[in-house]
Amino acid sequence: MENIIEVKNLTFCYEEDVKTIDNISFTIKKGSYTTILGHNGSGKSTIAKLLMGLLEKNSGEIYIGGIALTEENLAKVRDQIGIVFQNPDNQFIGSTVRDDIAFGLENNCVDPKLMDGIIEEYAAKVDMLDFLDHEPTKLSGGQKQRVAIAGILAMSPSIIILDEATSMLDPKGRMEINALVHQLNKDKNMTILSITHDIEEATLSDYVLLMSDGHIIDTGTPEEVLKKQQEIEEIALDVPFAYKISTGLQNKGINIDTYINKEKLVNQLCQLHSNK
Amino acid sequence: MSITFKQVEHTYSQDTPFSYHALKGVNLDIETGHMTALIGHTGSGKSTLIQHINGLLLPTAGEVDIEDIIITATDKPKSLKPLRKKAGLVFQFPEYQLFEETILKDIIFGPKNFGMDEEKTLEIAKETIKLVGLDESYLEKSPFDLSGGQKRRVAIAGILAMDPDILVLDEPTAGLDPQGAKEMMQLFKQINDQGKTVILVSHDMNQVLQYCDDVVVMNKGKVERHVKVDELFKETEYLTSLSIDLPIITSFILELNKNGFNIDPSIKDIDELIDVLGGELHG
Amino acid sequence: MDSMMFGKYIPVDSFIHRLDPRLKIGALILLLVTVFFDAGFIGYAILSIFVLLMSFMAKMKVSQILSAMKPMLFMMAFLMIFNLLFIQNGTIIFSLGFIHIYDQAVVQTLYIFIRLLLIIIMTSILTATTKPLDLTLGIEYLLAPFKKFGFPTHEVAMIISIALRFIPTLLEETQRIMKAQASRGVDYSEGTMGEKIMSIVSLIIPLFISAFQRAEDLANAMESRNYNPEAPRTRYKQLHWQFNDTISLTATVIVSASIIVMSFIL
Repeated sequence: MENIIEVKNLTFCYEEDVKTIDNISFTIKKGSYTTILGHNGSGKSTIAKLLMGLLEKNSGEIYIGGIALTEENLAKVRDQIGIVFQNPDNQFIGSTVRDDIAFGLENNCVDPKLMDGIIEEYAAKVDMLDFLDHEPTKLSGGQKQRVAIAGILAMSPSIIILDEATSMLDPKGRMEINALVHQLNKDKNMTILSITHDIEEATLSDYVLLMSDGHIIDTGTPEEVLKKQQEIEEIALDVPFAYKISTGLQNKGINIDTYINKEKLVNQLCQLHSNK
Repeated sequence: MSITFKQVEHTYSQDTPFSYHALKGVNLDIETGHMTALIGHTGSGKSTLIQHINGLLLPTAGEVDIEDIIITATDKPKSLKPLRKKAGLVFQFPEYQLFEETILKDIIFGPKNFGMDEEKTLEIAKETIKLVGLDESYLEKSPFDLSGGQKRRVAIAGILAMDPDILVLDEPTAGLDPQGAKEMMQLFKQINDQGKTVILVSHDMNQVLQYCDDVVVMNKGKVERHVKVDELFKETEYLTSLSIDLPIITSFILELNKNGFNIDPSIKDIDELIDVLGGELHG
Repeated sequence: MDSMMFGKYIPVDSFIHRLDPRLKIGALILLLVTVFFDAGFIGYAILSIFVLLMSFMAKMKVSQILSAMKPMLFMMAFLMIFNLLFIQNGTIIFSLGFIHIYDQAVVQTLYIFIRLLLIIIMTSILTATTKPLDLTLGIEYLLAPFKKFGFPTHEVAMIISIALRFIPTLLEETQRIMKAQASRGVDYSEGTMGEKIMSIVSLIIPLFISAFQRAEDLANAMESRNYNPEAPRTRYKQLHWQFNDTISLTATVIVSASIIVMSFIL
């Protein structure tokens, strides 16, 4: 699989001599679902803004879809990426759902005659067709984030970045957004980069980047990364529930594999139980 | 002595086209000294309810008794200050209420408003800053130089410094990372252990299970349940109908029990579960 | 805050609601000018009937018109009393001690009252029947000729529409912060001068901090969605001039013109 995002020796400082991002390199595979996992203040959200060209890197290289992120290429890079930010209110630009989805189309100089069709198509994709004329204050956080996703999809990017997009939502909103994003990843082969501190969410992704203090301290599949209890607890995160149970049982002398996935753990436990 | 709601109604913007009936005949009796969770959907009336506890909202009908202070729709106390002092309310994302130049000034803002003398406030500020897990050296810093999580601690210290008997928390851990959330919940438990009444609005059922004694479920402006926490999580169908998730440990046990295990679903502690599971498997 | 109706859009469907915002803004300006031409009793009668007809066609309720006037009541009362007492023309019709009221004063005051009333009603008809965003769009179109002179019409329209979008959000935020500070013992209604200043500081600073945070987030969100004020953009909402707009414009021009002509003849 080809790499859709390539980052080489990236460094960024908000203040002089304080490296928020310290010489990091990583690649993201096209069509993959990758989670950047880190505690608050680890620099994970800064990466999203750097990839989008919202912040200017101090040094290093960023390639999106083979195009180097530079001043001249900014529009070409942004055309490929859509980003959903944390606060649902502060990214709702239009006065209604309809106007908000239209905002990006206007910026891309889409013919106004075609807009209604596009707006309805993508509102339907995120299940917001019945709310087209609603104002943002009348919508829940989850609904606002769905509108944000519709606005992004309407501009047909190949990468969606979720910058803690579910952290201000209630469990229902969180579940809906996660399901929607997973579906986009599967059906449309959309590359997803999710920035979060939710470890259970990370267990469902293809790859995990573990961040702390501006460094990437580990990368790999969730199976590889999330089983490193010491490493994870050192950076103030929590290991997955299934990991705690399976390793706890191993310590009791029970012959069981180490799991990070709850369903798989239940399966093996049931097998052990019925073989008893 | 307790927090009692008798047939409380609350309608926003009464007699206008925008009127909204948020509380419908709420009867509730929250015991002092308990840690009670308040759960329900966004829009179920939770936040309207908690604002009655410190008199930010007054009932449009019915009666609210907060220990010895009685508020009815027609008979309101002359000043709400004693009530505000008695019941400290921590709003969601309380870091947005910080405004002073130094953390010290911000922490003692509440106590001073309630008429505490200067010397005593300093002492209290030193105590509370430690309580929320920061050291005294922070007192002279600007609250705006802190990280998000630290700002939240300072904001909460500002409420704790008022020494309220009742502490009402509206999703105090929203947006915090796991470590930060855990420390914060342990702080509230500690405060509760000192005899204070704690009311926690939360969407996180793991927190509810782990830290709370009782739970109040609100739906469409009404109180539908007020039970012990482990009682509530037995009602899986009811919770599903409200799309409230079970705590991860409870749903895990139920999943196992469906497949032939026989484990007590009221187990809260992960180590206890491991013990029981180990026992069943060794058999 | 909820009972405040002045300037609020009222979502119903009416003939006036469907008119082009450009026409409505233009007609309002024309009528506002007309109000100040004194064409005597008949002139005001014609204008009043025209405005009443418009509010009827806009499906405005009397109660809505009344509540639109509420915030202006104090100013109106002040102006009227001031005029009654200080205009000293014609014959005295009422005296109390050193206060003398002249018949011309009564007539003039009545005219001022009617003028103010008409201005308020006409303005509320515009705001009640036109969505804020359409209003912005109308203003942008009407200002378009000034683009040639370097006037940033597009930017101004964008600023207005974002301001309109965030007013409800910031009102909510204001209430939230007021409540949070009230929970810390701030009393917004009572207290000494010092306490009052403190209570306002405790509201303003958090409000500004949060507004700046929102502005930064918003700028990021807009930029991420390819917004560039200097680049060309298309507009989703298009204005379409209809036959009804032409008729309405004609009617307004006729009414205004006759009143203005009358004011010179009389």
